[in-house]
Amino acid sequence: MTCPLQTAETEILLDYSAGRLDFEKRSALELHMESCPECAAFRTEQNAVWEALDCWEPAPVSRDFNRRLWQRIDEAAATPWYGSLVCSLRQATWKPVIPLTAVILAIAGGFLLDHPGGTSTAPGVSVNEAQQVEQTLDDLQLLRQLDSAALPGGGKSM
Amino acid sequence: MVQRVNTVTGLAREADLDAQLMLRVRDGDEQSFRILLEKHRNPVIHFVYRMVQDRAVAEELSQEVFLRVYRSRGTCETTAKFTTWLFRIAAHLALNWLRDERKERGHQRLDAPRNMADDGELPVRDAPDRAPSVEQRMVYQTRLQEVRDAIALLPEKQRAAILMHKYEEMEYSQIAKVLECSEAAVKSLLFRAYETLRARLAYMVTGGRQ
Repeated sequence: MTCPLQTAETEILLDYSAGRLDFEKRSALELHMESCPECAAFRTEQNAVWEALDCWEPAPVSRDFNRRLWQRIDEAAATPWYGSLVCSLRQATWKPVIPLTAVILAIAGGFLLDHPGGTSTAPGVSVNEAQQVEQTLDDLQLLRQLDSAALPGGGKSM
Repeated sequence: MVQRVNTVTGLAREADLDAQLMLRVRDGDEQSFRILLEKHRNPVIHFVYRMVQDRAVAEELSQEVFLRVYRSRGTCETTAKFTTWLFRIAAHLALNWLRDERKERGHQRLDAPRNMADDGELPVRDAPDRAPSVEQRMVYQTRLQEVRDAIALLPEKQRAAILMHKYEEMEYSQIAKVLECSEAAVKSLLFRAYETLRARLAYMVTGGRQ
């Protein structure tokens, strides 16, 4: 038999320690261990682990476990369909939604800051600005007339 | 208590029985669910308990396991072995709880004082007049704490694989289906986990068994 440690087939050694090997494989492995100190040491250590794990016996189950379970089952049965949906949503991984929501809100907030107005107006001149321009043009024309009137020979009438 | 049947034929027969019971539950037979509950309750609770090492949490999560089984009764299919499905739910819930707990507490758990009340009592298998002595109880407590710490230090998937392999005596193929990975991955998980445990627990070699 080839050495399981050298061929990386250590599950044979684990199965041996767990008592799950058939008679033929067990006999072959025990024969091999007589001449392989590494496998023999593996067996000793693995048996020690097995015995250590054996000593871990959990405490008895609570006496009212079944009663509480049936209570939960009855409560679940009494919940309307939308309650079950809410429960499922609560159980779903909701944690990624929070940062995603924050990003969406940040983008939306940035957009609103760039575009504060509710309705879009066509780019153009407002009424007040038009009046101001017209007034300025009138003033300029008046000044030209005054200048021409001040020149020798008089100015042309408007 | 249901005796564990180790033969291949016996295991197959048990699996068929579970499948038949679950089909009856699907058809509305609540008594069949009670039978499944009594049969599989303790193994599930013990598995989850060894995963999370908190009795109250283990029972809470285990109730959730059976609640989900009950809720899924109308759509269950018997293509998968019942215990595989059951332990897949249990492992999933336990692994999720451990991840959430790790995020909330960091690594404080290992330094926090452990509650030894859960399973700190030496099981008295013999007659009452052979109750363990104080010294025996102390030795037992120390060994138990070492084992719990060693298991708690394992990465979660290695922990789940070891618990199913050792305490539920599952085959590699079934563990692979529970953990939804390949058989080769399971063997790798177990190899690394047992290697860690050997390094930590091998000093506990009993006298005279070299």
